[in-house]
Amino acid sequence: MIVSIKDIFKMIGMLIVSFCAVIVCAMFLNYHLDLVTVENLITTELSRNFYKAQLSTARVVSGLSGGCLLLTTVVLLCFYIGHYIGTHQKQLGIMKALGYTRWGVAKHFCVFGLPILVGTALGYLSAHLLMPKLYEIQNKDGYLPDVAINFHPGLCAALVLAPTIFFALLAVIYSFVKLKTPALALIREQSSHKIVTSKKDRDRPFLDELRKSNVRQKKSLVFFITFAVFCFAAMTQMSCSMDELASEMMSVMIMAIGIVLAVVILFIATTSVVKANNKTITMMKVFGYSAKECTSAVLNGYRPWAYFGFALGTFYQYILLKLMVTVVFKDLSDKLEYKFDVPVMLITLVVFALLYELIMFAYTKQMEKLSVKEIMLD
Amino acid sequence: MIKINNLHKFYGNGESRTEVLKGVSLNIKDGDFVVILGASGSGKSTFLNVISGLEPADAGTVCYDDKNICEMNDTEMTLFRKDTIGYVFQQYFLLPNLNVDKNVKMGADLTKNTNYRSLIEAVGLADKKKKYPHELSGGEQQRVSIARALAKQPKVLFLDEPTGALDEATGRMVLDLICKLQKELGFTMVMVTHNQNIARMANTVISMNSGRIVEEYTNSSPQSAYEIAW
Ligand SMILES: Nc1ncnc2c1ncn2[C@@H]1O[C@H](COP(=O)(O)OP(=O)(O)O)[C@@H](O)[C@H]1O
Ligand SMILES: [Mg+2]
Repeated sequence: MIVSIKDIFKMIGMLIVSFCAVIVCAMFLNYHLDLVTVENLITTELSRNFYKAQLSTARVVSGLSGGCLLLTTVVLLCFYIGHYIGTHQKQLGIMKALGYTRWGVAKHFCVFGLPILVGTALGYLSAHLLMPKLYEIQNKDGYLPDVAINFHPGLCAALVLAPTIFFALLAVIYSFVKLKTPALALIREQSSHKIVTSKKDRDRPFLDELRKSNVRQKKSLVFFITFAVFCFAAMTQMSCSMDELASEMMSVMIMAIGIVLAVVILFIATTSVVKANNKTITMMKVFGYSAKECTSAVLNGYRPWAYFGFALGTFYQYILLKLMVTVVFKDLSDKLEYKFDVPVMLITLVVFALLYELIMFAYTKQMEKLSVKEIMLD
Repeated sequence: MIKINNLHKFYGNGESRTEVLKGVSLNIKDGDFVVILGASGSGKSTFLNVISGLEPADAGTVCYDDKNICEMNDTEMTLFRKDTIGYVFQQYFLLPNLNVDKNVKMGADLTKNTNYRSLIEAVGLADKKKKYPHELSGGEQQRVSIARALAKQPKVLFLDEPTGALDEATGRMVLDLICKLQKELGFTMVMVTHNQNIARMANTVISMNSGRIVEEYTNSSPQSAYEIAW
């Protein structure tokens, strides 16, 4: 078997991300669809404005979180398959050398759609369980007629079946492209050390050199980590500043998604860095480098990028909320003001820093446990 | 002086628990060249890993000048490895994304050895300093790994089948190089091999069989890498 159940199990991160995406999208899109049915019943001007604002919010929220999370899942999947092929190069190379066709190998990768199926299905189910509460909160002031919850088969297909098929296909195509590498190069694991050299060859200490080369080598990871922290910063700060603009349930949900996303991605990214550097770390330990020095060389190169992502996310949410206030709520009777919230930013920054250092600390502890025997048996 | 006393090592749990080292005792003099000989699976690598502090022992002591490494904590162990040991593996284990120069620097930086480039010359790779491991042949990679281990100026060099993956000509060349460097720098050397001919190069030969030392003798006139049969 080319991709085992155990490998799929490790993709719990994708399950979580797709779950988050679908639960939010399903709730708000379903609400959107049901809301449209009551349009004819609206009579007053006030209700009409409120109705329009509600429709826009539903679109913005589902578009924002759905789009954001869809992108994350695509990146996550490509990253995971790339990583999978990277660590199983030898095995795949031997299969190619034995005469398996590229299709023959790549088609097995469609099982990567399985965690997406489970995640989206669970998300859709949970959304329906939460819907009564959402409908009630959204209309707690009674501006609108009662909105009934309906099941929309089209929505179910679009949110559960379509992503599953899309991601299964994506996995197959992506691995098909990746498997273009000649068998021998796979067996010799050449592509895993594609060397990216810096132009200037300065005489840096070894640890600096290793740190720099690690970051240069894994550009996708840099993107990944920056993106994770970007999402975290944007979503948590947005949810805190939004309590006036939207319902509490929405803020809590967005915040929860931001945190889950950041933790999942940071966790996956860090695990893959540490796994990819298993031999290097072990060799460093054999030579007498301390676990702290190993972590620093392998993981610290990403820290500046993480904080850059934080700054970017903060900026993004500011612009977005500013836009939302001026565009979406412009028709509402009482004009809302939006100002940048410094205390919230600082609290989020501290929470993020703590979270980040905690993950790094956990990996330092794990590195202390690595033994030489493991890499020698490899 | 390394004093090894009544060393035991087990692998596995319960039913599958096997004793890989069954009470091994040995003294290794400073500056000695020791070859540990034995069939595959006799416990040589395990023995080497335990006495070099890469793996913990289950019972017994390993003392370097009266410091028992079996009782060291993590910090002491890291310091011990840094100051005392060098290691050369059969599979080289070079860092794939760094060039030859930086790989050797990995060892050199630990002891702030700024003269490490002379070692790259000594192993005959001065013109390949900028090459990456996958651009080198097996013999060249092993020479880099020797330079890397010696760049940290270890007191004891451990080698686990350093020529195990090399052909005869390359193997002889690597062994010749190691012996010359040992005579020049004077470190203690412990080498594991299953090739009986290589034992003729050593001062002291230890034979192992299923976790025990079965024979120990000294060579009165060690031969060079080009004199032994292969
Ligand atoms: N991690 C391990 N778990 C269980 N058994 C092991 C492990 N490592 C080695 N062994 C067993 O210990 C014995 C000695 O191994 P080793 O020291 O590698 O021998 P040598 O280097 O002489 O070939 C072998 O029988 C091997 O199967
Ligand atoms: Mg061995």
